Amino acid sequence: MREPTTPPPVASATPLLEVDEVSVRFGAIQALDRVSLEIGRGEIVAIIGPNGAGKTTLLNVISGFYHPTAGRIRFEGRDRTRLRPYDVAALGIARTFQNVALFKGMSVLDNIMTGRLLKMRGSFLWEALYWGPAMRQELAHREFVERIIDFLEIEAIRKAGAGTLPYGLQKRVELARALAAEPTLLLLDEPMAGMNVEEKEDMCRFILGVNDEFGTTIALIEHDMSVVMDISDRVIALDYGRKIADGRPDEVRADEGVIDAYLGVSHA
Amino acid sequence: MLDILYGVLVGPLKDMAGSPAFLAEVVIGGLAAGLMYSLVALGFVLIYKASGVFNFAQGVMVLFAALTLVGLMERGAPLVLALLLTMAVMGALAFAIERVVLRPLVNQEQIILFMATIGLNFFLEGFGELVWGSNVKRLDVGIPDSSFMVWGVQVNRLELTAAITAAVLVAVMAVFFQRTRIGRALRAVADDHEAALSIGIPLNTIWIVVWSAAGLVAIVAGIMWGAKSGVQFSLSLIALKALPVLILGGFESVPGAIVGGLIIGVGEKLAEVYWGPLVGGAIENWFAYVLALAFLLVRPQGLFGERIIERV
Repeated sequence: MREPTTPPPVASATPLLEVDEVSVRFGAIQALDRVSLEIGRGEIVAIIGPNGAGKTTLLNVISGFYHPTAGRIRFEGRDRTRLRPYDVAALGIARTFQNVALFKGMSVLDNIMTGRLLKMRGSFLWEALYWGPAMRQELAHREFVERIIDFLEIEAIRKAGAGTLPYGLQKRVELARALAAEPTLLLLDEPMAGMNVEEKEDMCRFILGVNDEFGTTIALIEHDMSVVMDISDRVIALDYGRKIADGRPDEVRADEGVIDAYLGVSHA
Repeated sequence: MLDILYGVLVGPLKDMAGSPAFLAEVVIGGLAAGLMYSLVALGFVLIYKASGVFNFAQGVMVLFAALTLVGLMERGAPLVLALLLTMAVMGALAFAIERVVLRPLVNQEQIILFMATIGLNFFLEGFGELVWGSNVKRLDVGIPDSSFMVWGVQVNRLELTAAITAAVLVAVMAVFFQRTRIGRALRAVADDHEAALSIGIPLNTIWIVVWSAAGLVAIVAGIMWGAKSGVQFSLSLIALKALPVLILGGFESVPGAIVGGLIIGVGEKLAEVYWGPLVGGAIENWFAYVLALAFLLVRPQGLFGERIIERV
């Protein structure tokens, strides 16, 4: 479905994303403490950890909503530590939010179309007249968006107001909007929170499908360990802002430090 | 009792039918005034659409624009140059507002942004007077405030020019913000700052564009009202007349601002001329607010506002 614009680099080349000794501090709270990690092209990486471990902060740093107090971030080999969110989006990093950030007053279709804004070019004059190249452009974008709608099986709700949908569907629409930007790296903040088993299974299917069909690299935060084990190629565990494990899902699950972080140990 | 009913329901209609030419004059005067209200309301709508904030300072922006224009002309600048300079000043103002007021308050509650615009209101008021003085100034744009006759109906040249200018400006803005991708970006920004950023909308650029557009609208409104009644502090009070227009038309609708303005303009003129004498006149000053109040009861989102759907 997606035509790669640049030939994919050799597998051994630089990873897609490098986070290098990144720290974030809010006043007295050290949200991230010298975290380093790499995400390779085409991977699905799960970020796990107890509440307050710094998972969302990590996502916010990568997508430019926070800037690190120390450390560097490189995307496709280029330093982009201090970019702003919209520059990050222009680079090809899309994200969803923990508490669904949809445009609630707009229809599902319009919501997903906003994901194409960065891809739109051309003269405002033509757009105003809705004629010539502008109309062809709008139609082309509409077509792409329809394919995403098909892919995520939300045809039936495309005209519905985004704010009126049940939570599970809102999360799906948010994913659709992120996909509309044709991202290289997709960041998902708890894509399955608050979903029932059936919805979770659907979401897993979509995430794997996106990775498969579009070749999109995905980093997601997830609490449900069975989901994490099922879909991720690699798991990174955080605790108190530090990285405590990084490896294959079964390795991380067996890691003593991770078990301690989740179950708690008495250090008496 | 019957007398009162007759006076309210029948008498005014008989008067209207009795002199159609006079009725036409009243309606035309109302439409002209209405377009001017639309113009001011449009400034509010633009900013409300893009930042979700009710800009309390819109009226003072009108005053400030007119003061700047007159001030520059008093210092010998020809009209065109003064106009260009004023546009530059309003653009710089938009830039400064984005930097100093909006950027630090991103993602804050609406009420906080609203309070910030109240602060902006007082700052601009003081700053304008500091720079340009507080005496009443005459603004002459070369269009005489006189009338000519069309089919036995008096038409005022200044009002006609103002109406045409307003109509053109409103049409251009409506098309630009409804049909281009900026329009979609605007709605996105107004809906959710964070989400808009995440899909690559440069929030700051959008804000500068919108506040500049609101500044441009303020200049036109300032010139038109200023030419009619002189440039003075009371110019900032026309913002109050935009409130009922917004309630009628809906806060986020450009066509709503236009239609709302026309309804208020015509409505208050008709009320003043035909129903005014029943209560001793001076209805014009409060008629719009009563109409808005009635509207709030029946259709709080306005004629063209987005329907308020609450998920239960």
